[in-house]
Amino acid sequence: MKAIPESLREALALRADTNLVPYAGGTDLMVRGSSNAEYLFLGRVPELRRITADGETVRIGAAVTFTEALESDAVPALLKEAVSRIAAPAIRNAGTFGGNLSNGSTKADSAVALLAADARVRLQSLRGERILAIDEFCLAKGKRDLGEDELVTEILLPAGGLENYSFEKVGGRKALAISRVSFAGVFCADEGRITKAAAAFGAVSDSFLRFRELEARLIGKTIEEARELKPAYLKAYAEKLELKDGRVSAEYRRTVCLNLLKAFLEKFGV
Amino acid sequence: MNTISRSVVKKDHEPKIRGESVFVNDYTAAGDARPILTGKLLHASVARAKVLSVELPELPEGYCYVDARDVPGSNHVLMITWNDLPVFCDETVEYIGEAIGMVVGPDDQEVSRILGEIKVNYEPLDPVLDLREATEAVRERDFGYGDPEKAFAEADSVIEEEFETGYQEHAYLEPQGFMAEPEEDGKMFVHGSCQCAYSVQDAVVSVLGCKYRDVHVLQDVTGGGFGGKEAFPSLLASQVAVAAQKMKAPVRCVYDRKEDLAYSFKRHPSLCRYKMALKDGKVTAVDCDIRLNAGAYCTLSGLVLDRAAATAAGVYSFPNLHVHAAALKTNTVPNDAYRGFGGPQVIFAMERLMDHAAKTLGADEVAFRRQYLVKQGDRTVTEGRHHFPVPLPEMIDMLDAACGYWEKHAAYAKPQNGRFRRGIGMALARHGDGLTGTTERDLGFSIRLRKHPDGRVEVLAANAEIGQGTRTTFPKIVAHELGIPLEKVSYQHPDTGRVENSGPTSASRSLMIVGELLRRAAIRLREQWADGEEQEVRESYTEPDFVISFDLDKFRGDAFPTDSWSACAVEAEVDSFTGNTEILSAVGVFDVGTPVDENIVIGQMEGGFLQGLGYASMEQMAYDGTGRIRNNSFSDYLIPTAADVPKLKTLLHVEEYPDGPYGAKGAGEMPLVGAAAAYAAAVEQALGTDKHRLNRLPITVEDVMKELYREEESDGHDSI
Amino acid sequence: MDTIRFELNTRPVSWEGQASARLLDTLRRDFSCLSVKCGCGEGECGACAVLVDGRLINSCCVAMGAVDGKAILTLEGFRETPQFAALNRAFADFSAVQCGFCTPGMVLAAHALLTARPDPSEAEIREGLSGNLCRCTGYNAIVNAVKAAAKEGLW
Repeated sequence: MKAIPESLREALALRADTNLVPYAGGTDLMVRGSSNAEYLFLGRVPELRRITADGETVRIGAAVTFTEALESDAVPALLKEAVSRIAAPAIRNAGTFGGNLSNGSTKADSAVALLAADARVRLQSLRGERILAIDEFCLAKGKRDLGEDELVTEILLPAGGLENYSFEKVGGRKALAISRVSFAGVFCADEGRITKAAAAFGAVSDSFLRFRELEARLIGKTIEEARELKPAYLKAYAEKLELKDGRVSAEYRRTVCLNLLKAFLEKFGV
Repeated sequence: MNTISRSVVKKDHEPKIRGESVFVNDYTAAGDARPILTGKLLHASVARAKVLSVELPELPEGYCYVDARDVPGSNHVLMITWNDLPVFCDETVEYIGEAIGMVVGPDDQEVSRILGEIKVNYEPLDPVLDLREATEAVRERDFGYGDPEKAFAEADSVIEEEFETGYQEHAYLEPQGFMAEPEEDGKMFVHGSCQCAYSVQDAVVSVLGCKYRDVHVLQDVTGGGFGGKEAFPSLLASQVAVAAQKMKAPVRCVYDRKEDLAYSFKRHPSLCRYKMALKDGKVTAVDCDIRLNAGAYCTLSGLVLDRAAATAAGVYSFPNLHVHAAALKTNTVPNDAYRGFGGPQVIFAMERLMDHAAKTLGADEVAFRRQYLVKQGDRTVTEGRHHFPVPLPEMIDMLDAACGYWEKHAAYAKPQNGRFRRGIGMALARHGDGLTGTTERDLGFSIRLRKHPDGRVEVLAANAEIGQGTRTTFPKIVAHELGIPLEKVSYQHPDTGRVENSGPTSASRSLMIVGELLRRAAIRLREQWADGEEQEVRESYTEPDFVISFDLDKFRGDAFPTDSWSACAVEAEVDSFTGNTEILSAVGVFDVGTPVDENIVIGQMEGGFLQGLGYASMEQMAYDGTGRIRNNSFSDYLIPTAADVPKLKTLLHVEEYPDGPYGAKGAGEMPLVGAAAAYAAAVEQALGTDKHRLNRLPITVEDVMKELYREEESDGHDSI
Repeated sequence: MDTIRFELNTRPVSWEGQASARLLDTLRRDFSCLSVKCGCGEGECGACAVLVDGRLINSCCVAMGAVDGKAILTLEGFRETPQFAALNRAFADFSAVQCGFCTPGMVLAAHALLTARPDPSEAEIREGLSGNLCRCTGYNAIVNAVKAAAKEGLW
C-alpha cells in the first residue's frame, strides 16, 4: 500500500494500524533493502519537517535532513559539526535526525553529539507522548525504546550552554566514513566553577556511552581543583570503558577515547 | 614540448559526459527482440570442500540451472597463458566464491529467489588460508649474480627485515559484467567489460569447444580496469557463453558490488624477507625472498611473480644479489593482475629496507640511495642491461624543487611533542615497460590501418579503451603521421571479428608497443596514399636490435626493453591521539617518456598515484578464519575520495625511448608503484625516532598507535 | 500496485508499482534513464546520484514512495541546459572524463554544488564531490574542471 501521510495525525494513525516500517531519509533502510518491505513515508509530514526555537529549546523535526540542519541558524554549532562529518552531501541531503537515532546503530554521529548536549527525544502516538533522554531512547545496538505505535517526532535541544564543546570523529577517510570512534563533549563553567563536563562516546560499544556519575565529580570544582582530580578522573574512565572489537580493536578504542577525553578537558583548561 | 603532446578533446568524451555510452548493463532488448536473460552465480560458501550435491528448488518455466555438465568444451578457462580455473567447479571447490553453477531466467528478482533456495552439500576439506603456511608453489624463481653467500659471511653486519602487504581491490566503478548472445548464423557473440577481447575469445572458444570463427568478442565501454578486467572476464564470459548456449538466448551476468569485492581477483598479498650485507659502511649484497599469495588458482600469478622477481632490487645495483620468489597456492580468492603487477610489493620492501639501512648507518636516506642507483649500462637483476639513461638523479632534484623535500625533512627531524606530528618521505621506483621477456616477439602481435575511399582512416587493433585514453591517443598518432585532421581517424571498441590481435591491454604496453606499430604503419600508409582508394596497411612487432634476448628458464637477459622511473614524496601528519594520518601533500615526478597527450598522461599519473596512496593508507581487505573476505562493501573497503588528498601534484621528466612513438614509454602503472613506500617513510618520520618500523601495508591507525605506544612504554610513559 | 506521480526531467510522469521499489531501478528500467549507474547499491559511490527537488540524492537509497510529488533531474534532462554545456566544455578541456562510469553522477554533483555555491573554494569543491567516487582520475582534473566551469557565471 502507498502510505504517504500529509499530517502527523494521519501518520500516527497509520503507525497504529499497520506494520509499516517508518521511512524518513531511506539511506539506511534502502541499503538493508528488502524488496517486499512496506514503508510509512514520513517526508511529507509538516510537523516532522520543521526546525523551531524559543529561548529555551531548539526543536528539530525527526524528518529534518542533515543538510537542512546545516543551513539553519537555529541549530547549535556542536550539532552542525557532528552532522557535517556524516558521509557526503548526497547522504546528508536525505539522512534525517529521526533516522540516525532510530536505525539502531551506535555509530550515529548525530546521536553522540545529542547525548553530550543533553538533548531529548519526543515520541508520539495516538495515545500521547513521551520525552526521553538520548540514552534512555537508544538502549543498545539494534534496540530502541520505541512502541510499535510510536514515532520519533522531534529532537529537543537546550537553546544555550552548548558553546564550549569538542567533537571528534575517527573514520577511515575524510568523507564517506563510518565512525570507528566518535566523541562529543560539552563544557560549562559559572563564576569559575564547573557546571557541566559532559562526555559522550560513540561507535565503541553496544551502546552510546556517557557516565554522568563520573562527570559529577567535576561539578562545582574550580579549574585548578579539576586539574588535580584529573589523573584519578581519567583512571575512573579507563575502568568504566568496556569496549568492543569491531573495525578496530577494543584496546585501540579505549586508548583513543581516553586521549580524546583528555584533549577535551585540556581544551577548557583542565 | 613535442607537438604530439598537446592535449585534445578525448574521442570518447562527448558520449561519456552525456551519459550515452552503452556499458554492458545498459543494453536493453528493444521492441520484439529476444529478452535478455539474467544469470546469477552460485558461489561456494566454504574455502575447500568436495561438492556432494546441489539441491535445487522447483524451477519455474523459463528458468534454468547451468553447471559444469553444460560445458561443451573444456571446463577450464584459458587465462592468457594457462589452462586454469574451472568455468563451474568440478568435484571440489577451492575458495569461497568459486562458481558452482548459474541460475538463469527472465526476471532478476526471481533468479535471486531461486539462488537463495539452493542448498549445496559439502564434504569439507582442510583449507590452506595463511600465506605463511602455504607450500604449494604455482611458480618459483631462483637466480642472482656474484657471490652473495660469501658477502653475507664476510659482512660487518646484516640487516634482515620482513615486509607484508595486503590485498588491493581494483574498485573500478563499473563492476564486472559480461553478456553472450547466440546469433542467427550460429555464432556466439560475447561482449562486456574487459581489457583483452582476444583473451576472452581464446577462453570462450576452448570452453564451447568450437572454432575461432564461431565466436566473436566485443569489448563494451568499460568502466575502469586497472588489471582487474585483464583475466577475470575470461571466466565470466565463459560462464555466460555456456549459459547462452544452453538457453539459446542472450544471457547477461553483472556482478553486484558485494560479489565483486569478495570474489573478483585482486592484488597479491605478499610477504618479503629482505636481507642486506654491510661491510665498511657499504652494501655488499642483498638477498630477496619474495612470497606472493596466488590464491586458489594460478590465473596470472606466474607472470606477476616474474615481474616481481625482475623488479626485486628496485632502482639499485648491488655487487652481489640473490632472489628467490614463489607464488603460493592458498584456498582464497585468486590474485591476479593489478596495476604494477608485482612491482608495488617488492618496491615497498626494497625502499623500506634502504630507509632502514640508512637509519642504521646514521646516513641520510636519499644520499644513501644515490650511491647505489642504477646507471645506463649497468646490469639488471636478470643480467640484462639498462640500455638507456636513468634520470633518477635529475628527478630527485625536480622533486625537491617541487616540494622542498630537504627543508621539510630537516624540520620534521626535530623532536615533535604536540598532538599532531609531521613527516616526509621519499621513494624511488621503476617499472619495466611491456610484457616480460620475449612475449611480445613470440606472440607477434599486429595492427592494421584501413583507409576508406573518402579518406577516413580506421585503426584496427585490440587494445581496450578503459579510461586511459587509447581511443584518443591511437588516432592521434595516426593523424599526426598522415598529416590529416584527428576527426578523420577513428578507433572503435575492438571486436575480434574485425580487428587485428594487437595483444592485451596490460603491462603499460598499449601506447609504447602498439602505438609504435601504428606510427610505423601510418608512415607506410602516407608513402603509398592514393586518393579515393580503399587501402590497408598491416604492421607487426619486431624486437629492437639492442635487446639481450631473455631466457625464461634461466631467468636471464632483458626482462624489459626499457624502464619507466619515478621519484615521489609524501608529507603526512599523524594525530598521536588517534593514529589517524592525513596526507598533507603528495608530489610525484615520473619519467614515462614523451606524453602523447599531456592531459591524458597527467590523468594517468594522478589517478595511479592516488591509487597507490590508497593502497598505503586506507585500502584494507582481509579474510576471516574461514577464508571469507570481510570487506565486501564500499563502506568497508575504502578508497580515496576527492577530499582525501587535496594536494596531489605530478610532474613529468621526459627521457625519450627511441623505440616508442615520439619517445613514449609505458605510463599506466608507474605512478602507483612507489607511492606506498613514500607514505610509509613519511609516517615513520612523523612517529619521531629512528626505532620505528612500519613494514606492513596498509598502515592502519592501530599500527600507528602501537608504534607510538611501544616507544612511550619503553620510555616509562604511563599510557593509561 | 501504487501510483506515484512525480516530475522527471521537467515532464510530469505517473508510475505504477511498489512504493518500496528503488528509484534507481525504476529510472533505468521504466524510464530508460541509463545514465544513472549502479556502482554499489548502498549510497557509498555516487554513480546513481540524481537531483531530487534540486538536491543531490543517491537514487539507490530512495524508495519510489519518497519521490511522490517531487521533481527529479537526471543527466538525460540536465544535458539540455546551458550549465551542462559549461561543465561539458570544462571537463573536455581538462580531460576529466576517463572511464566515464562515475561521470553522470559527478556532473550532477558538480551542478548541485555550484547551485549552492556559485563561486566555491577548492576545499568546497572537494567536499561537494566527496560522495562521488572516481577511481581513474585522482580527482584533480575534475576539481579543476568544476573550478573553470564556475567562472562562466551560470550558477
